[in-house]
Amino acid sequence: MEEALRYAGVGLVATAALTWLAADEARAIRSARVAGVLALALLALWFGAVIWVAPIERAQGIVQKIFYVHVPCAPVAYLGFVMTAVGGIGFLWRRDAHWDRVAISSAEVGVLFCTLILVTGPIWAKPVWNHWWVWDLRLTSTLVLWFIYAAYLFLRTLSSGTDEARAFASIYGILGTAAIPFVFFAVDLAQGKTLHPSNPAREGLPASMLVPLLLGFVAFACVFWYLFARRLEVAKLEARQS
Amino acid sequence: MNGPRVALAVLRKDLLVDLRSRDRLGHMLIFAALVVVLISIVLRTSAADARGALLPLLWIAFLFTSLLGLARSFQAETEDGAWTNLILVPVDRGWVFLGKAGANLLALLVVEAWTALLAVIFLDVDWTRAPGAALLAGVLGAIGLSTLGTLLSALSASARFREFLLPILLFPLILPVLVFAADITGEAIAGRALAERSAGALALYDWVFLLIGYLGFDSLVEA
Repeated sequence: MEEALRYAGVGLVATAALTWLAADEARAIRSARVAGVLALALLALWFGAVIWVAPIERAQGIVQKIFYVHVPCAPVAYLGFVMTAVGGIGFLWRRDAHWDRVAISSAEVGVLFCTLILVTGPIWAKPVWNHWWVWDLRLTSTLVLWFIYAAYLFLRTLSSGTDEARAFASIYGILGTAAIPFVFFAVDLAQGKTLHPSNPAREGLPASMLVPLLLGFVAFACVFWYLFARRLEVAKLEARQS
Repeated sequence: MNGPRVALAVLRKDLLVDLRSRDRLGHMLIFAALVVVLISIVLRTSAADARGALLPLLWIAFLFTSLLGLARSFQAETEDGAWTNLILVPVDRGWVFLGKAGANLLALLVVEAWTALLAVIFLDVDWTRAPGAALLAGVLGAIGLSTLGTLLSALSASARFREFLLPILLFPLILPVLVFAADITGEAIAGRALAERSAGALALYDWVFLLIGYLGFDSLVEA
């Protein structure tokens, strides 16, 4: 419980920071440079740590190193989806197209990271579980989450750039976030058990594994920040052109 | 004019259209019958233990059938240009949504009762083992499907490729309704006690989507 609260707290801080940044579009776009430099530096550090610091796990071998890519993707993807809802609420409240651009930019980058989770997971699972996929709580709910936000992106490509279409998409983005707890609960009910390893902190990782993992979280968050800011810039240019 | 009266007027209008044209409801009933017959025949050719999949399959059949009806719930308004008149109503437009969702709910309940009857005839399903729980699952499931379906149908009404868009938007979000409802009906048919956890979660889900629909529809129309 305490751990869940800690995760929620970090998520809330990240969402608040990103919301503050996104509130001023020019500021968000300007921040891309800082984010890019930070992301590059941190990615280099993270990569070095994964290669040289992190040990080769005894039971699973080299394939365990996917962990350092797979796990940091998850909170970043969630952040993208929460920001989609934030952008949606912002648009419905203020009727300012800039919030809609925030929503679509974060949804796109969120889906990218969610795709990475879904790709790296099976690559690890095949040698370790001997299956590419099992219908387990985490896997299934992540897949459904991916479908929800892929549908959101599909909705965006099909609808025209009117305020009506923006309101549609905003509501769907909010619906998606509201549905996440139910999806999680429903899948839990349908499976009743999970094969997926529990959250890393619970297992008491040694420092040689914890450091690359934490670096991964921060580096991927910066990558998200950078891609989000650049995508926002593209969206703004598109809006100016049309 | 106050809100509830607007909702009732919209509901009455939609029901009248359904009853007089018989298009929407008629097609749904025929479609449901076809799907149930197909399920019965295919299950007969497969292994005996496939019968355990019966109730979830019935819910999937019901989902596909309701998709047909939901997709058309705003068709009359958009095709005949009545949309503007409908939303000019001088109350909170959430009531229009409630009326629309109510009409869809009644249509879905008819389809559900029909599907349940077909299941009794063709698949030997015995609803009398726990009629209360089965009814509860049916009503709560239909409420979830009609609220979410009506809202998403409004979202996709004016989009291109709306016949693709609605299922793609609806299916991932409706998953909890299917799981909870199938759980309640499964327990009921097995003669066990009411799956309270699922019933509670389903009721909460219905409530959240009713609320988002009510609030969201207004801002949707506003745009």
